[in-house]
Amino acid sequence: MDRIECQWCKAQNEFGRTNCTTCGAPLDVKDKVSDSGWAEAPRLRDMTEFRFANSICQIEGEIVPVAEVALAQGDSVFFEHHVMLWKEPGVPMSALNTGGGMKRTLGGMPHILSIAHGPGRVAFSRDAAGEVVVLPLHPSMELDVREHAFLAGTHSLTYSFVRIKGLANVLHGGGGMYMDRFVTNQEPGLLLLHGYGNVFQKTLQPGETILVEPGGFLYKDSSVTMNTLKQNVKTGLMGGHSMYLAEMTGPGRVGIQSMYVHHGSE
Amino acid sequence: MSMPPAQGAYTCPYCRTPSDGGGGTCPHCGAPVDVRLRVTDSGWVEQPAIRDLARIRFGRSTCQISGEYVPVAEMGLHDDDWVYFSHHSLLHTDPRVRLDSMPLKGGWKRMRAGLPLIMMRAQGPGHIAFSADEPGETLAVPLQAGWAIDVVEHRFLVATGNIAYQWQNADIWFTTKTGDDEEWHYPVGRTIDRFAAVGGPGLLLLHAPGNTFIRDLGPGEHMLVQPGSLVYKDMSVRMYLHFEYPRGRYWFSSARYQCKTTWLTLTGPGRIAVQSVYERPELAGSVRRSSGATTQQW
Repeated sequence: MDRIECQWCKAQNEFGRTNCTTCGAPLDVKDKVSDSGWAEAPRLRDMTEFRFANSICQIEGEIVPVAEVALAQGDSVFFEHHVMLWKEPGVPMSALNTGGGMKRTLGGMPHILSIAHGPGRVAFSRDAAGEVVVLPLHPSMELDVREHAFLAGTHSLTYSFVRIKGLANVLHGGGGMYMDRFVTNQEPGLLLLHGYGNVFQKTLQPGETILVEPGGFLYKDSSVTMNTLKQNVKTGLMGGHSMYLAEMTGPGRVGIQSMYVHHGSE
Repeated sequence: MSMPPAQGAYTCPYCRTPSDGGGGTCPHCGAPVDVRLRVTDSGWVEQPAIRDLARIRFGRSTCQISGEYVPVAEMGLHDDDWVYFSHHSLLHTDPRVRLDSMPLKGGWKRMRAGLPLIMMRAQGPGHIAFSADEPGETLAVPLQAGWAIDVVEHRFLVATGNIAYQWQNADIWFTTKTGDDEEWHYPVGRTIDRFAAVGGPGLLLLHAPGNTFIRDLGPGEHMLVQPGSLVYKDMSVRMYLHFEYPRGRYWFSSARYQCKTTWLTLTGPGRIAVQSVYERPELAGSVRRSSGATTQQW
């Protein structure tokens, strides 16, 4: 029987489907890739549905999209509490202690992640125009995400956080002190992110390098290394300035957002 | 006597540049060629959004616009071409692109006006991309040799090397007095940018929050717009302030001033462009002094 491969998440879909069952990406729209190889994250159609485990996620709206999750018994999602838009009163809640104590305080990150358990419905959204990026994670994948950019992760993902290496990266990288790290174990998981503006992804080959505005960084495979590159700029009598760019080196995927707060010069 | 247009010649209504009209989009500004001109009942033309992944050509290079909320302008620079930009609009670049700074005069004045002190220059070959920090539209404004437009500060994204950049005082201001304090207001910004094509055509990219509407004013034709909504105007368009107040007696005299409307009068001939998202002027305080302005009570 003919199958259609989703160009975004590589999942196999039944012939005739218009949206991927795993990530919701349109299957009847050609991939949008710029001349330099940046692929646009798929624009999820209003009311698109896709599945994870026994639950269903539906994306609603297009300017600041809402991710509504219908949780089945035994399934759960975790998230930072401030992204929860609404929930049914009967949805059981619990807390995930992230550990890290003072580190997380210093990093401005919450000490507790909320967990919503099925059965029931809960919905998430962020605070600015942008796109929901759906990233199905296959077993043994590791993804690093800019802090506060994740919307929700499914129960099969393991959450941790990693310190951004190098003082220069922390001070001038614009991404804070830590990145969220999501790891899958034996079974696949699903990660929902919110990127401000439009989101683009590029897959770097081993040793391939790209320079990115640090505020534009959204996510990367953990195999991609990130360093801060200082660019000295002379400004005549006003003296010298420095701007900082994130140097990302493959192999792996890099995701960026087109709207960001610039932190870069001093 | 004017020449009849060549067969098949197409002049883009948005950027006023002729082309063969054969492609789906204007090769100079990226506007769709096969859409009906969308004009409001009052005569404003809605600038169509540049189609996702549309390509614009300049020199021996290309510019590709991708995304629709906060579009990204990705330049594929040829060895001979260069562009300049404000450093905070840089999104990504490949390491082959050579970056350096472009000298700018008036550092102290630019600092006071809140303008970037650094203008960066990117020399091909390679890819480099730019984006703004608000949802809206990227506007491609091709300038023919000798053309110049005035652009409100902070709307500039990137320009090709053959477009000269100057900035000058906008000379649109007023002061208000609250108690003993006199406060200065610059409704279109303290300065205004001027971009002029020299020695050949060039490409200017702007970013306007929200949607953008354009209008060609006839000689002597006036239009009142919110000062914060102006994106750009032809050099030939003059501008000055216009204040409107409600008539009548009120318990507090300050009520009249709090209900004042501060307009920007634009007088043709020439093109004006406005954006649908804008910062509203402050209402507090009575106007004491101003640049050239008219007043009306209604």
